[in-house]
Amino acid sequence: MVWDPRVWSLLVEALWETLYMVGVSLALSALFGIPLGVLLVITGPRHIRPNAALHNILSVIINAGRSIPFIILLVAIVPFTRLLVGTSIGTTGAMVPLTVGAIPFVARVVESAILEVEWGVIEAAQAMGATTWQIIVKVLIPEAMSGLVLGLTITAVSLVSYSAMAGAVGGGGLGDLAVRYGYQRFRGDIMLATVLVLVILVQGIQSLGDWLARRLSHR
Amino acid sequence: MAETMIRLSNVTKIYGHGDGQVVALRDVSLEVKKGEIFGIIGLSGAGKSTLIRCINRLEVPQRGTIEIGGRDITKLNGRELREARRGIGMIFQHFNLLSSRTVFGNVAFPLEVAGVDRAELRKRVKELVDLVGLSDKLYAYPSQLSGGQKQRVGIARALANRPGVLLCDEATSALDPETTKSILNLLRDVNRRLELTIVLITHEMNVIKEICDTVAVIENGQIVENGPVVEVFANPRTSTARRFIKGVLHTEIPEEIRQRKLIVHREGCVGKTVRISFIGQSAGEPVISSLIRRFDVDVNIIYANLDLIKETPFGSLIVEIVGPDDNVEGSLQYLADQGLKIEVLNGVGPTGLESAG
Repeated sequence: MVWDPRVWSLLVEALWETLYMVGVSLALSALFGIPLGVLLVITGPRHIRPNAALHNILSVIINAGRSIPFIILLVAIVPFTRLLVGTSIGTTGAMVPLTVGAIPFVARVVESAILEVEWGVIEAAQAMGATTWQIIVKVLIPEAMSGLVLGLTITAVSLVSYSAMAGAVGGGGLGDLAVRYGYQRFRGDIMLATVLVLVILVQGIQSLGDWLARRLSHR
Repeated sequence: MAETMIRLSNVTKIYGHGDGQVVALRDVSLEVKKGEIFGIIGLSGAGKSTLIRCINRLEVPQRGTIEIGGRDITKLNGRELREARRGIGMIFQHFNLLSSRTVFGNVAFPLEVAGVDRAELRKRVKELVDLVGLSDKLYAYPSQLSGGQKQRVGIARALANRPGVLLCDEATSALDPETTKSILNLLRDVNRRLELTIVLITHEMNVIKEICDTVAVIENGQIVENGPVVEVFANPRTSTARRFIKGVLHTEIPEEIRQRKLIVHREGCVGKTVRISFIGQSAGEPVISSLIRRFDVDVNIIYANLDLIKETPFGSLIVEIVGPDDNVEGSLQYLADQGLKIEVLNGVGPTGLESAG
């Protein structure tokens, strides 16, 4: 039964695993994805550092990264995962493919947020003698902050759903719990409870993201 | 004669390649004196925006040189250009403030960019915000300000690094007439107090008339007329200039005045309808009354118009002068001697016959 304390502890453990996987891979994918997205924008035609070759190479790599289905990425990069964290299984083993899969996603999300920054404001900064670096950290990122937060919120929600597939490598988490108990052992109650927790989790992430984005927006 | 602050020589800017090529500026040369307010007027698409943006190299011209304070800005490398730009403030039609920063943060921006230390920065920002009259809005975000207030922030920001030159790219075009006036007054004020050279572009002749010393009219990427504002207003040489002026000065004589019949009641006298145009100091002199006393003529003012170009009175007066032939001639000579522009519109001889003037 759902109210069985053992079910509760399963749910709590799974929720913790999901939060851990999503949190760490979100942070890491932001760490790599944001600079990538910024680079993608500024090297674009008619932006502050146009560089067609670099821009096109980045764009192709990002598209390639986004076109690989996550479940394939998960197994395809097993050697890389092992090299990086010493194991390719478990929660830690699942975090590497989650991060790798999310980086190109974050890059695109960051790109679209930064492209929203009014060109006139960038030009004003140039007219005041700002360097490229100053424009990035004082203009592009702060001006796009609200959009960046919304983009990272979308990423976090996607990561929650991707993390369900992490069960394939014994990653644990809510999705894995739903598959193993709810589906494979015909425990409809656990399935339902897990889905309920996922719904609440996603709602929570989205509300937090929206609230933060609103607070950061002074438009 | 004041020294030259900005000198553009044979500047040509072309957009696009091959068949899609558009020549935005064609061999433009002009000179801006230190401390003056130089206005560039043109219709949209005339090239005025490209021209002002070439001055701080936001646009790079294909040919020509642009000297600011004797330094050719087209030949600077990246670092030198950034340094030079700190000496050239710029304000924009849409203000271009950072929406993520308060008034304080926006004005602080150019100081941060220039590496000014915290204490000095705070002091300077307060000074500047005070100068533009926004001390009570120091921690407001741009979205909480009106258009005029935003432009004041823009001006404070542009002046932060004590530039010698201020570029105004359609700075008042997004503002209502009342706000435009207050922003123009502020610009005139900083021009005087800081000995700042201002270059502005606009499509409103009103802006030129209010604050500019010199005007250049641009059309199809070329400067078609260039000179002191008062002179260009008094004697526009091109139809473009005349069109712009017509909008702000009522130099046209109303039809009913033009059609008016001149009737001479004094026996043996002639009458002449004369247009007297005046610029500057003569507007303040009692020309008409001395005319009446000296020449024993009747003067009937039938139309008068007075306007100010910057602070110079500018206007025209249409009078009927009636009196003995010699006296009327003497009157006209006297008026011409006062430096007034005289134009006889029509005349009536002693027989009462009308003759064209």
